Amino acid sequence: MAGRKLALKTIDWVSFVEIIPRNQKAIANSLKSWNETLHTRLANLSEKPPAIDWAYYKANVAKAGLVDDFEKKYNALKIPVPEDKYTALVDSEEKEDVKNCAAFVSESQVRIQEYEKQLEKMKNIIPFDQMTIDDLNEIFPETKLDKKKYPYWPHQPIENL
Amino acid sequence: MLSRVVLSAAAAAAPCLKNAAVLGPGVVQATRVFHTGQPRLAPVPPLPEYGGKVRLGLIPEEFFQFLYPKTGVTGPYVLGTGLSLYFLSKEIYVITPETFSTITVVGLIVYVIKKYGASIGEFLDKLNEEKIAQLEEVKQATIKQIQDAIDMEKAQQALVQKRHYLFDVQRNNIALALEVTYRERLHRAYKEVKNRLDYHISVQNMMRRKEQEHMIDWVEKHVVQSISAQQEKETIAKCISDLKLLAKKAQAQPVM
Repeated sequence: MAGRKLALKTIDWVSFVEIIPRNQKAIANSLKSWNETLHTRLANLSEKPPAIDWAYYKANVAKAGLVDDFEKKYNALKIPVPEDKYTALVDSEEKEDVKNCAAFVSESQVRIQEYEKQLEKMKNIIPFDQMTIDDLNEIFPETKLDKKKYPYWPHQPIENL
Repeated sequence: MLSRVVLSAAAAAAPCLKNAAVLGPGVVQATRVFHTGQPRLAPVPPLPEYGGKVRLGLIPEEFFQFLYPKTGVTGPYVLGTGLSLYFLSKEIYVITPETFSTITVVGLIVYVIKKYGASIGEFLDKLNEEKIAQLEEVKQATIKQIQDAIDMEKAQQALVQKRHYLFDVQRNNIALALEVTYRERLHRAYKEVKNRLDYHISVQNMMRRKEQEHMIDWVEKHVVQSISAQQEKETIAKCISDLKLLAKKAQAQPVM
């Protein structure tokens, strides 16, 4: 029963709350509450149980050898450390998540590039009073009148005028 | 648009509109290029704010400037007077009823344009202005929307950095649970062993007490048994005599 160091990482709960999407808030709350429960339980249990007073028992128990026997067996007893099957799962999940995040970030970068291109295009258009209708249709394609669908003037349903 | 302010003050507003009607294509031709296949000049350069200047509402200023070096300031007027007198006298231009209607109509047109040209120009410009303002709004909204999208993408990227907290919490929980289990087991072993030892001790204590009581009972019983009848009588007689003695002593005391 050697004492082991419990290596806990400090958690920034504010960031933890930030990264959870809305539909998983319940899971996040349960994680948080579990964390707190375990912390309190840990605080209640001391690291080692108190030592047994063998001398007192040896003096008082009549049966010879019983106390010695117990003492020997107790000292030889090794409580197995519970094996950790789950950290591996969490690690593999984290690796996948890192991959997904990297993919998301690269896609996001691509999107940002496109947005910036559009932004540049919008910022650099000529002033409206120097435009022709053709220029306007290039910049805002929705203003283009559909001459095939509405062959007669005003080339749009009357309600839109 | 800035010239709108100037427009209201200048009389050149009327000539601008009138001139555009009569000599529009000619003036425009000087500064605009027709779109023939390939755009030579794109974007289209802005339309001039004012049309070419005119005198007498009909004759462009360029003509006067053209004749100025040779004939000075009065040249074009003299030319005009001479030409019109020539046409009238030689009956090259015949005065008919048409003449009078022409004079009336043209005079009326000139009068209306000079008086209301500016305000009509302003009104039409305002209509245009509204359309442009609408388009401007759309443009600003689009720009803002794209900007917001970019900002949101950046924020999401920043959040990605913090994803590891989720897994940290899970790992912490696992570690805590394992530690708690281990300690609980230690404590349990201790408790069990202590229980067994305490049990032995309390059993011993109980046995000893029971033996003691039993022994006492047994000894009492035998003592009582061993008191023979005769001893009992003697003991009782002695007790009575002792009591009588005590009673005498006791009687003696309270009298004091």
